[in-house]
Amino acid sequence: MILQHNKKMEATIVALEGRMDAITSSDYEIKMKGLIASGERNFVVDFEKLDYISSVGLRAILATAKQIRSRNGKFLLANVHGSVKEIFTISGLGSIFPFYDSIDSAMAFFV
Amino acid sequence: MRASKSIVIKLILVIMLSCTVIFSITLSYNYYRSSVILEKELENNARNLALSLVNRVEAELLSVSKVADGMSRTLEICRYDKQNIHSLIKTTVEQNPSIYGSTIAFEPYAFNKTRRFYAPYYFRDKGTIQFKPLEESYNYLQYIYWDWYQIPRELGRSEWSEPYFDEGGGNILMTTYSVPFYEVHDGKKRLKGVVSADIGLESLTKLISSVKILKSGYASLYSRTGMVLAHPLKEAIMNETIFNIAEERKDPLLREFGKKMLTGESGFVHFKSLTGIKSWIYYAPIRSTGWTLTVVFPETELLENVRKLSLTMAGIGITGIIFLTLTVAFIASSITKPLRQLAAATQVVASGNFEVALPDVHTKDEVGILTNAFQMMTKSLKEYIRNLTETTAAKERIQSELKVAADIQLSLLPRIFPPFPDHNDFDIFALMDPAKEVGGDFYDFFFIDRDKLCFLIADVSDKGVPAALYMMVTKTLLKSEGQRLGDPDIILSSVNNILAVDDDSCMFATVFLAVLDLKNGEVRFANAGHNPPVLVKEHEVKCLSLHTGFVIGPMPDSCYKTEKITLSPGDILFLYTDGVTEAKNYEEMLFGEKRLIESLNKAPTDSVKEMIYSIRENVRIFSQDCSQSDDITMLAIKYNGPDETK
Repeated sequence: MILQHNKKMEATIVALEGRMDAITSSDYEIKMKGLIASGERNFVVDFEKLDYISSVGLRAILATAKQIRSRNGKFLLANVHGSVKEIFTISGLGSIFPFYDSIDSAMAFFV
Repeated sequence: MRASKSIVIKLILVIMLSCTVIFSITLSYNYYRSSVILEKELENNARNLALSLVNRVEAELLSVSKVADGMSRTLEICRYDKQNIHSLIKTTVEQNPSIYGSTIAFEPYAFNKTRRFYAPYYFRDKGTIQFKPLEESYNYLQYIYWDWYQIPRELGRSEWSEPYFDEGGGNILMTTYSVPFYEVHDGKKRLKGVVSADIGLESLTKLISSVKILKSGYASLYSRTGMVLAHPLKEAIMNETIFNIAEERKDPLLREFGKKMLTGESGFVHFKSLTGIKSWIYYAPIRSTGWTLTVVFPETELLENVRKLSLTMAGIGITGIIFLTLTVAFIASSITKPLRQLAAATQVVASGNFEVALPDVHTKDEVGILTNAFQMMTKSLKEYIRNLTETTAAKERIQSELKVAADIQLSLLPRIFPPFPDHNDFDIFALMDPAKEVGGDFYDFFFIDRDKLCFLIADVSDKGVPAALYMMVTKTLLKSEGQRLGDPDIILSSVNNILAVDDDSCMFATVFLAVLDLKNGEVRFANAGHNPPVLVKEHEVKCLSLHTGFVIGPMPDSCYKTEKITLSPGDILFLYTDGVTEAKNYEEMLFGEKRLIESLNKAPTDSVKEMIYSIRENVRIFSQDCSQSDDITMLAIKYNGPDETK
């Protein structure tokens, strides 16, 4: 999995790429922990290039969401699509995350 | 060890070789320059010596020739009789010590008409002056035929004769200066006779021989014809000419040298002397007699001082080189000593002993740096190996504990099939293949009451020990709440609420839970985010469409919905986890729902056990040897219709 982050105005955009499974989820968690520790509060996670997410990946997303919310931050998901969206839907997790069609529309939340 | 020794040897060799080369070049150059300088000086010395000798010989000869000239003039001017001729000759000999003998030899009948030959001769003999009438004392040849008489007579001028043995006269080796004298009669010049003065060759030889040059150098004298007159080779004197010797020795170079020497010029040559020694030779003519004087400097003796100096220098040089070698050897070995010790220590370390003491090096040079670095390396190696040992031990312990955990986990799942042998109204079979030692999937089935069988399948959102712990809690809760509450939606919300309290790990589980009424085949089920099960009817295989529901664990107060279907006898409900549909092959393709449905279509339906094994086999074939990334769990339940016997 490839991770990239990009600080824009009020939020940090984290782009996920490839697969997010038992092996790669820890990379995501370490990265996010670092960003949160450095004081970032608001995040937009870009799922556009993510091909697959496993239950472990879901847990990781959930865990970071929980951490950010406990710090009164915002955690928005953008471009969730295909099989990844299906998994979110099946697990019911889709109902607790606001999904956005694009980075811009997610960023509009902060304006 | 050998390497460090070779450093010493290499250093010594290189330094010694370079020093030797430099020293040899210096020495050779010095020798050469000295020789050249010496040669130049020598030429001057030789010339001076030769010229002074020539002058001395010339002076001697001149004193004799002057006396003879005086006598001849006296005879031409004065009248003389027998008596005053005698006294003239005698006095002349007496008063001139360089004159050995003297005569006034007359032309036939020139002294008086009665005497054909007249030549009174006075000469020295053992300190006294003796008289001899030459006209009588020459045995074989009258005096007028001797060279000393004939040549000046014919030439009409004074002349030094070639050296000869005056047999019958002076009876010694001599050379004679002869002056013709005349009588002027009626304005006509008529030869009266020849005045001669002899000089003993011995006295000249003595003069020449008295010259000492170095140890074996000498001066020598050659006549006009190349006859040896004075030379250390006594037997050659008056016996050999330089040309005879050249002939004898078959030495054309010597003949050439002889010719050149006798041309009346002077010169300085490097040549082998008559005694056969390589020498520097200076030759110069004695003009009055046409003789040649040579001075000979033996080369070896000339260069002896230079050679001695060179030898001394070589001695000093060799001593210096030896000293240098020793110093280099000392320094090199003192430098390489810690290296050798280090090498020895390295070997000990290489054999696994990290406790070896390294050589104590306090210098800050390269060796010191190396030793320090090595010391640090040994230390960190030791540390690393200790860590590794500890880690390995810890890992092994964890491995074995994980194995135990996996065994416990598996033993928690019902594994005895058929589990209820006295029930003919349903068949059930389940299988769990963990991906890691301990998996996160589980299944369960149990009776809530006599006719209601609860069965469920779940997937915990992680792997390994945390998932296993979570799974145990969830499984226990599901069973206890299931038996207590009986309604699927209520069971799930209850378990969810219990799990959601204080859950910081954010772990969750997807659960599909169903309750089968064995009397009528009605299945009431609720789903918490799990994959929809597949309903396998005789002619139809399809996924159950159901309300997805929220996973249990992360959020309290989730609501679930109980739905229901009714199974006909022979219908099978196939429950699975995503380990089945998400099994990968090497091309990163997923097994997928479509393949699962196809496999179920083809799978045997008589026995649920066979069915599950067939699906498992299909998944295995699909994923080839690709390592299993998730637990594979399946549960199949077949409703056979109500049990009429009960």
